[in-house]
Amino acid sequence: MSSPLVLLPGDEIPSEYLPSTNSAPLRLGPGLRLLSQPPSSSAPSHVLTATQAGILSTDNKKNAVSILSAPNRRYIPTVNDLVIAQVHHSSPDYFHCMVTPQAPHVVLGQLAFEGATKKTRPMLKQGDLVYARVLSVGLGAGAEVELTCVNPATGKAEPGGLGHLTGGMVFDISNGMAARLMRASSSSADQQDGVAGLVVLDELGKKLEKVGGFEIAVGRNGKVWVDCSNGGDAAVKATVAIGRCLTTVDQHDLSPADQKKLVSRILREMKIEV
Amino acid sequence: MVGPTASLTPLARADGSASYHCPSTGSNILGSVNAPVELPGRRDALKPEDATVEVFVKTGTAPASVGERYVEGIIRGVVGRLILGRERGYARRGVVITLAIVGGESVGRADSHLTLLPALLHTALLALLSASVPLSMTFSATVLSVDASGKITREPSAEVAAAAKSIHVLAFTSKGHLLLNESEGAFDFDTWEKVRQRASAICHGTSTVGADGDIAMVEDADGQPLEGTIRETVEDQVHRDYAWKIDAA
Amino acid sequence: MNKEAPLSIAERDFILNALREDVRLDGRAADQLRPLTVSFGEEYGHVKVQLGRTSLIVRISAEVTKPHDDRPFDGLFTIAMELTAMGSPAWDNGRQGDLETYVTNVLDRVVRHSNALDTESLCIVKGVSCWSIRADVHITDYDGNLIDAACAGIMAGLQHFRRQDAVVKEGQVIVYGLDERVPVALNITHKPLSVTFHTFDEGKKVIIDATRKEEQASEADVVIGLNNAGDVCFMSKFSGSPVDAMVFVDKTSVALEKVKEINAIIDKALQADLAKRAKSGMLEMSRAENDRELEQ
Repeated sequence: MSSPLVLLPGDEIPSEYLPSTNSAPLRLGPGLRLLSQPPSSSAPSHVLTATQAGILSTDNKKNAVSILSAPNRRYIPTVNDLVIAQVHHSSPDYFHCMVTPQAPHVVLGQLAFEGATKKTRPMLKQGDLVYARVLSVGLGAGAEVELTCVNPATGKAEPGGLGHLTGGMVFDISNGMAARLMRASSSSADQQDGVAGLVVLDELGKKLEKVGGFEIAVGRNGKVWVDCSNGGDAAVKATVAIGRCLTTVDQHDLSPADQKKLVSRILREMKIEV
Repeated sequence: MVGPTASLTPLARADGSASYHCPSTGSNILGSVNAPVELPGRRDALKPEDATVEVFVKTGTAPASVGERYVEGIIRGVVGRLILGRERGYARRGVVITLAIVGGESVGRADSHLTLLPALLHTALLALLSASVPLSMTFSATVLSVDASGKITREPSAEVAAAAKSIHVLAFTSKGHLLLNESEGAFDFDTWEKVRQRASAICHGTSTVGADGDIAMVEDADGQPLEGTIRETVEDQVHRDYAWKIDAA
Repeated sequence: MNKEAPLSIAERDFILNALREDVRLDGRAADQLRPLTVSFGEEYGHVKVQLGRTSLIVRISAEVTKPHDDRPFDGLFTIAMELTAMGSPAWDNGRQGDLETYVTNVLDRVVRHSNALDTESLCIVKGVSCWSIRADVHITDYDGNLIDAACAGIMAGLQHFRRQDAVVKEGQVIVYGLDERVPVALNITHKPLSVTFHTFDEGKKVIIDATRKEEQASEADVVIGLNNAGDVCFMSKFSGSPVDAMVFVDKTSVALEKVKEINAIIDKALQADLAKRAKSGMLEMSRAENDRELEQ
């Protein structure tokens, strides 16, 4: 990427920045809208303008273009996002869950779990956590957002790990950090600088192997669930250490080298043998 | 003259925030935006297909008065025109803008709030950008005072404003439209036209005014157009936020 | 009214279990404060407090007004705190919540009712005019422990503030501008601060300076207000489950230690600000200030 294009709302996107492959229709991501121009002008009849401030991001493979905006913004549910939801109450057909505070509850079907039937459905209480996928966001105002913990096509919890999260601890991170962690944890490539500028997870993974490793689930709604239940005596300390590492990297935008130093420093502070 | 300084996202809890300091008027504003949020208890008042914009201005050192309610109305009008309240996730939700006057001399109960208005408007805009609220475009605003001799002062201090014959606040969108015109005091059309030209030069630079020699000098005195200041503030923050991505490239 | 999102069961259990092992989420010890910074703005009495991720701004202002009829020799002192949506998206603008009422009440008791500010010195003409000192607290980021942070901010502000000089000449009150006469520091009688404790595990675990999540997971809170000399001026336990009386006794010594620590941070910031002002050509002003204090 050459110097990135920073756009403000109302800025037009120069056509040379758009993906050049013309075979597929252009897909507009968040932060952009298509406006038609007055027919008199010599320019093309449609222009793309930004509605949010951020960096223009293009994906030539998918022929998609979108704007990467502020990482601390409020999460708005989007189809297929993985989120960590908290059960608020249940009704005969649904669990009503919280994904973002100060926002309406979202619904999760009582049977939208792997292998759930009327008799074997999970009994979730208020305050329980679920790792779920956004199934639909509905249309128009007041539409309900629906989550699912199962792939409706296969009846399996895909991707793995969807469902009730037991034990562990949840840490709050920014939206942007959640997206980066998602990319970093899903990519298997062992790159030197890590994926999306993050080496903190790899580093923690290596160092915490001795205490039994850890499980992690990242929700796009700015939550990360961490569990070290295999850790025995060090489980609590290791969980806290992971949480501290992730939130510090998020708050201070640490470089990969600093992330490695941070991991060593926090593990030393928490007196965890590595 | 020393231009205003601003920073994006100084706060952690709010969805978006900005701080803004204007040395010539001495105002120092901290703003936050929470959006889209549910506004309970006001359901009946909400527009079903659009976002509701709420603006709250908090005084620095005095009890709240009608002056703040008055500028709140103006700010709500200005940003309400730019916020795309029908975008996904915003309909029937609230955009809550909170602006606190954290520095500078407090405005007396009977004094004009117009001198503070541009700083409040800029803070609101930057906080909206920081919260990634969808907007159709951006804007810039300035306040000018005209004294008895017809001399125009940009962003007057409290004393100059108190002695002025008229005070004008003008805002222009990034596309050059006049977005807001609030005037106070006695003035004639010629004066207003001069004020408008000067304000446009302060916000956009002189390119829109033409190749008039006199005005070119004015531009030098005004330094960087305000629009540029806003753009730079946003660019700085974006570069910080995405340093990991930019450095890796 | 909007509320802070409740904690999940996992969070609540984890915080409690970790405390049983004496581990806190940010790696602190039970009686360790988060990093505290106090800084001052350009104007007198403009304070910024940052306590971990909690931050606030305090502004002190003064105006001449008429004293209350029943207390003709006393000036006025008010603490105004309003929680706006800036501090937390869970707070509503223009609506008073329980937290706001509670915190304002405690601040009033610790700072105002303990006579930290000598209101008699604010009197100008008996029964006719006096100074009204107002402390505005703006919460900019809320991550727990508002009371201690606001208390430190108000006390720092009162010590930093300089009011205009006023004299009575032939029955007329003349107020001199800040540049006409050396402004006057407020008369502070003592420096009370609060220390808030939260209890867990049936009162067996007690921590100070809780974060927002720790506050939500706690059973009860105990506030102790005292000054550097160890004089307790406030003690409360408003709600939550019962706390053993010994906690109050034991923790008062911890509170004293913390009050000294916070006061030292405030003093250091005041010194640094004074030095900065002296450097920027205000040397005369601070010197005159010292002279005045010596005369008293």
